[in-house]
Amino acid sequence: MELRAENMIVTLANTDIVNDISIRVKNNQFVGLIGPNGCGKSTLLKSIYKVIKSREGSIHLGDLDVLNSEPRSVSRIMGVVGQFNDLSFDFTVEEMVLMGRTPHKKFMERDTEEDHKIVTSALEQVSLNGYEDRSYLTLSGGEKQRVILARAIAQQPSFLVMDEPTNHLDIKYQLQILSIVKQMNIGTLAALHDLELAAEYCDYLYVMKQGKLVSQGTPKELLTSQLIGEVYDVSCEIYTNPVTGGLGIAYLPLL
Amino acid sequence: MKTQSHITTGYHKKGRGQHRTFVLLILFLIVFIVFSIGCSVSIGQVSISLSDTFRILLYKGSGMRIGSLEGISQASFADIIWHIRMPRALMSMLIGAGLSLCGVVIQASVQNPLADPYILGISSGGALGATFAIMLGFSIPGVLGQMGVAVWAFAGAFGAALLVLTIAGVKGKVTSVKLVLAGMVINALCNSFSNFIVYFANNSESIKTVTFWTMGSIASATWDKLPLVAVSIGAASIFFLTQSRVLNTMLLGSEAAVTLGISLNRNLRIFMLISALVTGIIVASCGTIGFVGLIIPHIIRGVMGSDHKKLVPISILFGSVFLIWADILARTLIHQSELPIGIITSMIGAPMFMYMLMKKGYGFGGR
Repeated sequence: MELRAENMIVTLANTDIVNDISIRVKNNQFVGLIGPNGCGKSTLLKSIYKVIKSREGSIHLGDLDVLNSEPRSVSRIMGVVGQFNDLSFDFTVEEMVLMGRTPHKKFMERDTEEDHKIVTSALEQVSLNGYEDRSYLTLSGGEKQRVILARAIAQQPSFLVMDEPTNHLDIKYQLQILSIVKQMNIGTLAALHDLELAAEYCDYLYVMKQGKLVSQGTPKELLTSQLIGEVYDVSCEIYTNPVTGGLGIAYLPLL
Repeated sequence: MKTQSHITTGYHKKGRGQHRTFVLLILFLIVFIVFSIGCSVSIGQVSISLSDTFRILLYKGSGMRIGSLEGISQASFADIIWHIRMPRALMSMLIGAGLSLCGVVIQASVQNPLADPYILGISSGGALGATFAIMLGFSIPGVLGQMGVAVWAFAGAFGAALLVLTIAGVKGKVTSVKLVLAGMVINALCNSFSNFIVYFANNSESIKTVTFWTMGSIASATWDKLPLVAVSIGAASIFFLTQSRVLNTMLLGSEAAVTLGISLNRNLRIFMLISALVTGIIVASCGTIGFVGLIIPHIIRGVMGSDHKKLVPISILFGSVFLIWADILARTLIHQSELPIGIITSMIGAPMFMYMLMKKGYGFGGR
C-alpha cells in the first residue's frame, strides 16, 4: 500500500516542528527517515499515525484519507511500533499481542480461534513462542520491543510505521527486528538512528534537519560524507565494507 | 507446519480451560452472593434461624404466593427481615458492585494504580453538599425535600466531578496527571469549606450526623431507595461489560490506544462522566465508603490479571460479596451498637492492601 504525505506542517507551542514536508512510500518499499535528535522525525511520524494533529497537509494511505478518517479505519491498515511502551498495569504477553486484533473486532465480538492462531504465529515470527503467559513488565527491553512488534504484526497491517524500533536493543535484536519487518514485505516508514543499518535495510531515505527535508534518495546516492557532515555536524569517511560489501561509515572523533 | 498446528490446538485447549474456570468462578460468586444475602438477613441483634429466613424470603419474594408464615416463632420476624434487613443487604450488594466497578474504570481511565472512585473530588464534594444541607437546614420543597440531604450530596458530588473534569480539560487534552491533580485540589477545597461550615455551625448533634455521614453507612437503606441505585449501577455495569477492549487499550496509554483504533480522549470523558454519576448516587445514598473501589480492583487484578474481560465482571461480583460481609460486621462486631461501614472497609482494606504491597508478584504497575 502506498503512503503519500503532502506538505505536512506541524506546529507545537507556536514553533513549526515539521515544516512543509512531503514524503512518499511506494508499494512494499522500506523507507527510512534519518536526521539528528530533535529534527522532527518523531513528530512527523506521530502526525501520520494521528497522535498529533498537523496544522496543514494531507496524508493518503492507499485510498484512505488518513487525517479525515476515524482512528479505527486507519488502524485496520496501519500498524505502529512507537517509541514509548511503558505500562502502569501489567499484562501477559498473550494479552498484549491479542490487543493487536482490536481494530478488527466488532462491538462485543469475542476472540476467536483464528485470533489466537494469528497471535501464536506473530509470536513465532519474533521468536517469542512460549512467552504467552509471561508478564510484559518483567521482560527485558528487547523482548518488550519484540512484543510490540508482534502486536503490530497481529494487527495484519498493510503498512507499518516505526519510530526508532531498534533503540536500546543489542545488535542481534536490531538486526532481527529489521529483518522481520523486511520479510513482511509491506510498505514501511521507519525513523532510524543507525545510518549503516538504514543503508543496509532501507530502499529509500529521507533526511530531515530542523523540521525541514534536506535531501532524499537511495542510501547509496544519499549517504555521502558531505551530507552526513552537514546534517549531523560530524566528519566521517564512507567506504565499502570489505566483509559484507555494504556501506560502511567511519566516524572521525570530534576535536 | 505440523508442529505449528500442534502448538495452536494445544494453545486453544488451554484457552478453553481458562474460559471454563472463569465461567465457574462467575457462577460460584453469584451463588455466594445469594448465600451472603441469606446470612446478612438472618444475622443481627435479633437472631433468626436460616430456615425461617428462607421461608420468609420465599413467601414475601414470591408476592405471598408460595409458602406461608405459619409456624414462624414471632410475627415481627417477617418485618425485620423484609423491611429492614433485606433492603440493607441488597443495598450493600449494589454499592459494593458499583464502587468496585467505578474503581476499575477510573484506574484504567487515568492509568494510575492509586486512583479510586473518589479521585474526582466526588467524596468531598458530596460531603460538602451534605454538610451544607444538614448544618444550614436547607431542603428543597416538595417531593425532593424528602430526600433533602441526599439530593444536596449528589449535587455536591457531581458538581465537584464536573469541575475536576473541566479543570483537567481546560487547555487541550485531558491527561491522567491533570485529572489526578485537579481531583486533589477540588478535594482540598471542598474539605476546607465543609470544615468551615462545621466549625462555625458549632452544633454537636449535627456534627455527629455529618461525621457519621462522611464515614458511610448503609443503615438508612429502604426499599424505595433501591430502584435508583439498582438501575444506575445495573446500567453502568452492563455498559462497562461491553467496553472491555476499550478499557484494555486505555491501559496501554493514549498513544498506543490511538494506533489500535481507540480514540482515547472521547472515551475517557464518557467513562469519567458515567463513573461520576454512579459514584455520586452512591455517595448520596450511603456516604463515603472508603477503600472498596481502590482495593477490590487490585485484588482481582492480582489474581486474574489486567484483562478487563475478566476484571470487570469478577470485580463487580467480588465487590458485592465484600460489602455484604463488611455490613454484617458493621452491625454485629460491637454488641447493641452499629459502626459506620466505612470504618470496617478501611480496617479490613488497609491491611489487605499492605499485604499486597509487601507481597512479591503483584507490582501495582512499577516493578
